[in-house]
Parts: sequence; structure tokens; C-alpha cells
Amino acid sequence: MGMSLAGAARRGAAFAARLAPGPRRALALLAFWFVIAIVGPLLAPHAPGEIVDRDVFAGFSARHWLGTDYLGRDLGSRLLWAVRYTVLICTLSTLLSCGFGIMLGIAATAMSVWVERVLGRLMDGLLSIPSLLFALLVIAAAGESVPALILTMGVIYMPGSYRTSRALALRIAQADYVMAALARGEGRIFVILREILPNMTGPLLSDIGLRFVYAVLLLSNLSFLGLGVQPPLVDLGSLVRENVLGMVYGAPAVVVPTIVLALLTVGLNFALDRQRP
Amino acid sequence: MGRLILNRLAASAFSLAFVVVTIFAITAALPGDVADTLLGQSATREATAALRHAMGLDQPAWVRFGRWVWGMLHADPGRSLMTGRPVAELVGPRLYNSLLLAAATAAVSVPVSLVLGLACTMARGTLFDRVVTLLMLGTVSVPVFLIATVAVFVFAVQFHVAPALADINAVHSPLQFIRVFLMPVVALAGATTAQMSRMIRACLIDVFSAPWIEMAVLKGVAPVRIVLFHALPNAIGSVVNAIALSLSSLLGGVVVVETVFNYPGMAGLMVDSVAARDVPVVQCCALIFCVAYLSLTTLADIVAAASTMRGRAH
Amino acid sequence: MPASLQDMSLSRRAALGFGLGGAGILAAGPRAGAQTPDTPRRGGHLRLAGFAGSTADTLDPARMSAVNDFVRGKSFYDGLVALDDTMAPRPGLAERLDTDDFRTWHITLRRDVCFHDGAPLTASDVVYSLNRHKDPAIASHQRIVAMEMRDIRATGPLTVEIGLVGPNVDFPAILGMDNFAIIRDGTKDFSTANGTGPFICTGFQPGIRTTGRRNPEYWGQPAWLETIDLIAISDDMARHDALLSGDVDIIASANPRLVRLLRARRFGIMESPVGTYTDLAIRLDQSPGHSADFVMGMKYLFNREQVRDSVFLGFARIANDHPIPPEDPYFAADLPQRVYDPDRARFHLKRAGLGSGELALFCSPAALASVDIAVLLQYAAQRAAGLDLGIRRMPVDGYWSQYWMRTPMSFGNTNARPSVDMTFALSFFSRATMNESRWRNPRFDALLLQARGERDDAVRRRIYHDMQAMVRDGSGVCIPAFTTSLDAFDPKVRGLRPNRAGQLMGYGFTRWVWLDGGGVSP
Repeated sequence: MGMSLAGAARRGAAFAARLAPGPRRALALLAFWFVIAIVGPLLAPHAPGEIVDRDVFAGFSARHWLGTDYLGRDLGSRLLWAVRYTVLICTLSTLLSCGFGIMLGIAATAMSVWVERVLGRLMDGLLSIPSLLFALLVIAAAGESVPALILTMGVIYMPGSYRTSRALALRIAQADYVMAALARGEGRIFVILREILPNMTGPLLSDIGLRFVYAVLLLSNLSFLGLGVQPPLVDLGSLVRENVLGMVYGAPAVVVPTIVLALLTVGLNFALDRQRP
Repeated sequence: MGRLILNRLAASAFSLAFVVVTIFAITAALPGDVADTLLGQSATREATAALRHAMGLDQPAWVRFGRWVWGMLHADPGRSLMTGRPVAELVGPRLYNSLLLAAATAAVSVPVSLVLGLACTMARGTLFDRVVTLLMLGTVSVPVFLIATVAVFVFAVQFHVAPALADINAVHSPLQFIRVFLMPVVALAGATTAQMSRMIRACLIDVFSAPWIEMAVLKGVAPVRIVLFHALPNAIGSVVNAIALSLSSLLGGVVVVETVFNYPGMAGLMVDSVAARDVPVVQCCALIFCVAYLSLTTLADIVAAASTMRGRAH
Repeated sequence: MPASLQDMSLSRRAALGFGLGGAGILAAGPRAGAQTPDTPRRGGHLRLAGFAGSTADTLDPARMSAVNDFVRGKSFYDGLVALDDTMAPRPGLAERLDTDDFRTWHITLRRDVCFHDGAPLTASDVVYSLNRHKDPAIASHQRIVAMEMRDIRATGPLTVEIGLVGPNVDFPAILGMDNFAIIRDGTKDFSTANGTGPFICTGFQPGIRTTGRRNPEYWGQPAWLETIDLIAISDDMARHDALLSGDVDIIASANPRLVRLLRARRFGIMESPVGTYTDLAIRLDQSPGHSADFVMGMKYLFNREQVRDSVFLGFARIANDHPIPPEDPYFAADLPQRVYDPDRARFHLKRAGLGSGELALFCSPAALASVDIAVLLQYAAQRAAGLDLGIRRMPVDGYWSQYWMRTPMSFGNTNARPSVDMTFALSFFSRATMNESRWRNPRFDALLLQARGERDDAVRRRIYHDMQAMVRDGSGVCIPAFTTSLDAFDPKVRGLRPNRAGQLMGYGFTRWVWLDGGGVSP
């Protein structure tokens, strides 16, 4: 297990070394958040639902480093759980939306004009429904659960990914080496896998990173409608939302999760943004 | 040009039909219906069955959908199941409010984003560019509900510079308009501007890498001149697209701001109607959002097409 | 029946339970406002921000269910009977109620009462207003209660006779329920309110706002306020911001977590000890609730002090697994208080012999504080008994019809009812549609019917005592606490008093309050 992990890390590092500095920094940051998501809850001193203090919205203290929340639960412990769920849900939903988006985007360039047109209109339709309202509808219909959240957010961000990858694929498909490969008589699938996809990796990775950030933000805004992970577990946005009244007392319960949320999104965004000249 | 518009219209009709069918399918899958909502805790099986029958809800879903489509084809969105009033009467004032808020936000955010986007492009890589970028990223990285909530508490409660509620009935003069709309518009414009200015910057930088711009730079044309007279005209298509995309979310994507400022707009109406299972109103709202999105993007496409034609004519 | 009436030497009128002072129903005018030391002032504009507002807002008395609905109702309409601060029936539009057998009731209406459109109040208005609740298409929240009124007919221009399906001593309290407000005969359009109340509706936009002005022709004590403006702000912080910034004068449902801030800024807080409770209903006809040991174990898992202190921050009263609050005159004070007891809980749960699977616990923001109570319970169950409860938080919409009472364990929320009889009859009687735990106890049912026809108060008290004990030990409903409703107001709002019937003076505060300095002295 240890060996394979180390091997995977080595292979990952080798892959990262080939990338542009933007996606590389973003990957490193993501890896950091993954570690917190995996290890964090194991280090939590209290259960996420345990009431540890009569005092609500308590400040920083030796007993409860990050104070207590609106019920008197340990904020630090809840924060560690929240990072796990936000990272988990957003990663999976991003993989889902980008996986399908990229697949359809590339397929659209390779297939007949009609398929491409119909796909484009469907994606337009999806884009036109406000994402928060769409999520509200779907989750109300499907029930509030982690898979439902992942699936909904995956559908919401698929059109964006589709558009980006289609544009990229179109540009590359007109490049000389692709023409050459087609002229050589290579199969379509072969061309897509060997010529088009590898040349899209860089820009696609930054697009995926951006969609991850959007997913984090959408998930936090969903908490405004009361949607999120089932209690006593929590995601970062819901953690901010459920403690928002603590704002008037300057409670760490609202300040700290907000900072963590901002670090997660700004950090990734900034890392990806810097790659441009 | 005429063909482009016709093509877009036909394509839009297809997208609209898709949205309407999707929304109806989802609402049909929602647990409970308007009879349950009306009866609340007193919803016994017998009482809901009787009410459902009285309201005509016991017909199959496709019959109700067909009836709705038929009505829409005659420009009649039907009646709200919850209140019994015509949907148009319910949606009308809300749509006006939403358009007003969206227009006010656009009036602020479009010029600001253009200026910021241009300035950052000209000064790209400098400290100014980085600070603006960081600020913009910071704005979109914090949930809107927190920004709005903190803003109200600070400006309305602590300093009394603006009202806590955006009471549209209190507007009788331009000054009052500014007072009432100040905070919601700032809360909305923050995120919109951030998104728009970054997209504009990206579009401009894209154009900048073109060889003829490099030529101009080598020829020693002033940077301001390059941006305004060489890069901007060529980027208009994508810039207008970026603006359209950002603005399209101002109608339905503002649930949070409407709620925090108690502003009666379309997004809140749709949330209410989903909760009440008031399907005709939900349908009408979704339709309006879709039309708004499609007309904005179509408009952007037309502008883009027009600008390329002009470019060719040169 | 008439014989026992004479035996107890009660006059027909006194037996109605109206007047603690004998013929109270005839003598007592509206008494509120009189006790406060400062003199009320006439005039002024009052702005209320309620809690829930949506396109579901209504002016139809039959459909009223949210706080703002009831405030609207109390402002624009009157009932035949009015309930006072302690929920005792007082005269409203009915000048007198007479009965010989508690089964047939004769109502005599007040003379010279006019609707806002100028039409005089007549018996036909009352017949229409009450009868319409039975029509399923009206979607009345009190349809079940209305079915008790077998026939309702006018016997003269100002007299109505109501025949009940069985005798009911507490019938006047039923007529005092806000949903039974009187509207004009034939009213079908509720885009405005045509009532007899102290305010005239001047504007109604569902989900946005309602406005009213004082009814100068009001038959009772006229309101002090000149105009009222009702809005609803569902976001907690925004609602408090509106009060703190002076945009509104009074808010319903203040959050306990903001009371400290409000008090520091010298805003008033009114605590109403209402009999509203949030409960866990365990269905006894399904697994795991068909094991009596399981139910008992769960009852011992509620840490009631923690519910009161951590969830409600002290603004609650501890309950004893039965629905009668400590303020009620019939409250059984001598029943031992059930406490959090992990050992007993473990003992009972072990005896219930459950498998290892997770048990679903349904809750929703629709049932006040139920999500937080579920979190406490889940932790206690895990900690004390190794019992795995999975919390299922459900959206507000659809919760009552899809999950509440339909799942083996779900949280409910029940508002104060105007009488002990109704509390038991609507939620614990075997055949009650809101019998949350499907508890069936023939003896309880017999006692309920016996008490309903019993006019000796001492006997009724004994019966109600036994019924509370039976619910506490037998039913599958766990009631940890009664909530205390909080309303917050600007200090210039005067004349507010707590009322057991509900927050905001039983929703009727617009009738009694005045603004200090805001208006002019009469």
C-alpha cells in the first residue's frame, strides 16, 4: 500500500513537472486540501454533533481553539468535517461535469453538424435556468443527499465545460498535425485520443480548476436555501450559513469558516489565473 | 444578417421547448402537490384527494401540461393554483422589479468592468493588475449571502447610511431611488463586475497575442492606442458575449439578494412557487429566465457578427 | 342533562365557562389595554415584519396558517367568540351563547355591526362563514373540527342555531379559533378582506405586503393605530436588521441568539409562553415503534435541559411527554418529570432487541427547531446506547404531507389549541387524523368523551390528569419542551402583553397597541 502510494505520488509529481506553472501550483494546492480532507476529521477532538459548552458563539479559547458554534459545539471539529465534505462533493461533481462535458465537447467536433447543433441547444437550455433555482428544483425532487448534490452540480456545470472543450477541440482539429493524421488515414477515435486530447490538457486543467471553484461557491450558496449535507455533518458554506447570526458578536464561528472558504477558492483561482501572461 | 437572426430564433425555440419540458418533468417529480401545500398539517389523504379533485389536479400530468402549452400558445399563462389569480398578474409586477434591479446593476457593473478590464490589460503583470485581480477573486470567493448580510448590518444598522430593506414603494425621487437601490446593487454588482472584468481581460489578452498587435507594438504605437483602437474593436465579439453571459444571471440568479433585502423579484417568486408546488407560476418563471438568456446571447451574437462584418469592410 | 345542570345550581349562562365572574360573556367588553399604566395615544403608523411570507399568504380565514395570516385575520375580521390572554372565551360578534345540553347551541349576534363594505352583519353571514369549512374545495385547516357542527342554521335575522354531533362543553373555544372568523355571506374573492374587524384592508399583495387603516365605525373598542403595514422577512438576520435600523417597529419570531444584542440596544422582547411544542412521533404500528421498550428508551434519551438551554437558549419550558403546558389550569403538576437517563435508555433499547442497522429520523425546518433537537438526540443515542440514528433533514415544502406521520420516526410541531379537549381530541384520540404515533387507547377515548360532557370542573380536572399520565407513558409522542415565542419591538410600541394563545398577543396586537410619541393624544 505504502509502495503503491509512493509510486502514485512519484508518477503524479512527474506529471505535474510537465505542466505549465499555473495548473502545477493549483494541483499542489488541491493536493494540500485533499490531505486535510482525508486526515482532518481523524484529528477532530469532538464528534460533529456533540454539544461541548453551554456558551454559544464562544470566542477562541484553550479548550476550544476556534470557539463554539450556534449550539455550543466545537467549531474546530466541525470545520475539519466541513472541509472534507466540501472537497469531496466538489471534486466528484467537477469530475462528473468535466468528464461528460469534455467527452461531449470533443465528440461534437467529430460528429455531424446536426448532432452538434442539437447538443448546443440543449446546453443553452440548461445554461438558461438559473443554477441555484435548478439545484433547488432537482434536489427537492431527488431528496437531499450527497449523491444528489454531486449529480445536480455535475449537471449544472456540464454545459460550461462542454463549451470550453468544444472550442479548444475545434481549434486543435484545424491544426496541421491533426490534418496530417487524418490524411494518413488514422481513425477518428485514434486521432481524438492521440492527437487532440493530449494537446488540450493544459487549458483543460485550468478549466477544470475553475469549475471546481464554481462548485465550491455554488455549494455554499445552496446552504442559503437550506440545502447541503445531512446534519450533524456539514459543508463549508452551511457552516458559515448556520452561524451567520454570530456575525453581530464577531464570533469565530462565522469568521473562521469564511476565511477557510476564501482561502480554498481564492488560492485556486489565483494559482490558475497567474498562468496567463 | 437576417438569416442569422432567423437561425437563432429557430434554435432558441428548440432550447425553450427543452427547458419547458425539463422543468415540467422535474416539477412532476416533486414530492407533494399544491393540495398538500394548501392543507399543510391538516392534509389527510381524504381531504387532499377531495381538494385535488376540486382543483382538477387528479388529471394525468401530460393532460395538464398539454393544457398549459395550449394556453401559452394563446399567450395565456393560466392561473396560479395557490392564489387562484392569473399568473400574469402575479408575475407582472415582479418582472418589472427584477428588470429594474438588473438594469440598475448593469448600469453600474458594465462600465466599471470595461474600465477595470481595459486597465488591467494595459497594466498586465504590474502590481495594480495583481491587486485588482486579487480583489475581484476575493469578491467572488465569499458567499453572496454573507457579503449582503454583513453589508446590511454595517451600513444600515451601525451607520444608518442606507435602509435595511429595499422598499420599492418608498421610491418617489431619483435620490430615494439611489438610497433604496444602493446596497442591493452594490451587493450584486460586486460579483457581476468581478466576473465580467476578468472575462473582458481574458478576451483582450487573447487578442493581444495576435501577430498584428505585436507588429503594432514593434512599430511603437502607444499602448493606450493599441488597446483602444486595435485590440478592443477586434475583441468586441467576445467582450459582448462575456457581458451578456454575466447579465443573464441577473434575473433569476439573485435569490440571495432578493431575500436579504426583502426585494420582491422573480427569483423569490420562483422559489416560493416551487415550495408551494404552484406549477403554472414555476413554468412561467423558467420560461422568462430562458427567454431573457436566449435574447441576451442572441443579441451578443448579432453584435459580434455585425462587428466582424464592419471589420471586413475596413 | 338538564337535571344535572340544576343539581349543580348553575345558570345556563355561567355553565358556558365564559365568565370567571359569572355572566362574564355579557358584561365584559374588551379588557386589554386597561391594565397598562401609561395612557394610550391615538394615531400613528405601525410596521410589522413577520416571519414567513410567500405567495401562499391568504386573506381567506379558512386557509390562514402562518403568523402573518393570523395577524391579518385578527386585524380585518372578528370571530363569534374572542379568546383572552389566558385563552378564556369572551364575547365577540356573538352577544350570547346559550345551551341546555351542550349539543345544541343558540347564538345571538350583536346588533349594528357592519362589514367594511357597509352591509350589516346577519345570521346568514355566520351560517355561510361556518358552513364553508366543510367543503373540501375550500381547503380549510379546520375541516375536521367543522365537521363536528352537524347543522348550522339561521333561526332569525340575528340568531343562529348550531347542532353538534355530540355534547361539547368547550364549544365556545372552538368558535374562538381564528380560522372561524366571520366573513360576508357569499364571499369568494379574497383579494381583499371584507370583515367586521378594527382595521380595513387597503392593500394586499401576497408575499409582499398588506396595509390597513383604522375602521372608524368599529363596533368594539376602536384601535389606537391609524394605519398598519405588514411585511414578512424570512431571513432571520435581515428581519432583525430591519428592526435594528428602524425600518420596522416590531418583528415576529425574534431569534433567541440575538436577544442579547437586542437587549443591549434597548429593544423590547416579549416572551409569550405558548403551548406550542416540537415532538418526535414514533409510530407504534410499525417497527421499531411497535416495541414499547424502544419508545420508552427513546423518551429517556431526551436531554430536556439541553434542549431548553442549547437549542432555545433558555426560552422554553421543559415538558413531560404530554401536550399540556405548565401554565394550563389543568396541568398535572404531580406527575414525576421524565429526565435524561442513559442507563434506563440503554436497558429499554437493549430489551427492544434492535438489529444493527441505522434508523431514520425525519426532521425539517418546517417543524421548529426539530433539526437541532434531532442532532442532540442522535448524539445521545450513539453515546448512551450505541444506537445509530440517521438524520434526514427534509425541505419545508412537502414535509407535512410526505414525511410527517408517514415515516416510523418523524418530528412534528403542534400549535397551542384553545382547550385541553381539543389538544387531546385532535392529536391523541384514536381516530384523530393527527394521531401522530397511531396510539390507540379505548380508555383514553372514553375519558375524552366523558370530560367533554362533564360540567363539574373537579371531575374534569381528575379526568384530564389521568389522560396526561396515559399520554406520557403510553403514546409514541416524545415532547421535550414547550417553546416560548419571542417578539421584539421598538420601545415606542406600547401596550404589548404576553398571551397564551400565540405570539404577538395571540396575533391580535394591532387591536391593542399604540405608539408612544408617534401619534397624537385623543
